[in-house]
Amino acid sequence: MEVGQMQRRLVDYTKSLFMEGFLDAQFLQLQQLQDESNPDFVVEVVSLFFDDSEKLLNDLTMALDQPNVDFKKVDAHVHQLKGSSSSIGAQRVKNACIAFRSFCEEQNIDATLRCLQQVKQEYYLVKNKLETMLRLEQQIVAAGGSIPMIELGF
Amino acid sequence: MELMKSSDNIIQDRTQQQHKQEPEMQAQEGQQEQGHHFHVLAVDDSVIDRKLLEKLLKVSSYQVTCVDSGDKALEYLGLLNNLDSDSTASSSSPSSSSSSSSSSSNSSSCSQSSQREGLKVNLIMTDFCMPGMSGYDLLKRLKGSSWKDVPVVVMSSENVPSRISIRCLEGGAEEFMLKPLQLSDLEKIEAYLLKSLHLSCTNIDKDDDDNNADHNSDNNNDKVVNNDSNIDKGNNSTSMNNNFSKRKALSSEDTESRRPKIKGLAVAI
Repeated sequence: MEVGQMQRRLVDYTKSLFMEGFLDAQFLQLQQLQDESNPDFVVEVVSLFFDDSEKLLNDLTMALDQPNVDFKKVDAHVHQLKGSSSSIGAQRVKNACIAFRSFCEEQNIDATLRCLQQVKQEYYLVKNKLETMLRLEQQIVAAGGSIPMIELGF
Repeated sequence: MELMKSSDNIIQDRTQQQHKQEPEMQAQEGQQEQGHHFHVLAVDDSVIDRKLLEKLLKVSSYQVTCVDSGDKALEYLGLLNNLDSDSTASSSSPSSSSSSSSSSSNSSSCSQSSQREGLKVNLIMTDFCMPGMSGYDLLKRLKGSSWKDVPVVVMSSENVPSRISIRCLEGGAEEFMLKPLQLSDLEKIEAYLLKSLHLSCTNIDKDDDDNNADHNSDNNNDKVVNNDSNIDKGNNSTSMNNNFSKRKALSSEDTESRRPKIKGLAVAI
């Protein structure tokens, strides 16, 4: 596949992520911050997000698995995850965290367990999509092309 | 006063002297060598937010130091060994420790003043919600220390209830900002940085407290001083101009690269 085609594919794919709500404008901000002096900025931030999130999800799983659930602790973890997902523009993860927190407040164990599943699902979805997107970018760069900037109407 | 018809003109002149107009993002390369940058201390327990903030600030040509907790921030600023503001009266020199600002006697303990030698911090940005010492706690500690004149911005990832944000503002924070921060937020930050320079200039004028000014602002002082002197007739603008005119030339680089809306800011100040 030649570079132009790859670039178009990337643009379409990225746009779909925005359209479907996986990513929001904050992700664009990240891309705008990337420049020649730091061409891996987005990859670095996204990798940090993956590591951070996986740890938090593990912590959450353990915390909710206790006989006496410490909801404050659970809430603290969710707050962190909400913050980091918000910072990179992972909108659906962030929204799932918001719902999660309200159930933490209610100390509703069943609901919070469901929320955890929801958050995990959203996380793995966006992880998958971001990895795909970044892979496409890498292919373009490897083929000597540049990564097109996405302009969004909304 | 050749100082200026408008700050914009000054900046234009400086720009022509020093650099050609560069897009904001690229300017930093030219800037790095100059060494006259605003230095921001960023405090956040989230590694992602630290990375983001660092990048935002660097892209805007600021020097950045990131720490992951309030304790680390205090340590960095040399405040950890001192309990809080007015502590030990015992130590050496009361007022001769001109390095500290008037009221907080904090600093005196011998050569280890509450400020590390030569450390310049122009702005502190802290997350509100952190384990251990919260952003609010840090704010209070700072305002009770010799660093009290450094503007502090508190950030939070959610809309905190106004009683909390107001509490921070009452505690001396310049502003309460919502995360994630964007490039557009950085313009507000510049306003606080320049304001801090103005404050320190006013201090110089009033208290004869040189170190305070040095601490808060290095050569950057001058331009703002000069700007203000035209607008704020109340100051001893002339004397300040004379005193700082030599340093004026050195301080130019900072603002150009950041495309500051100085005119608006100066008026506000």
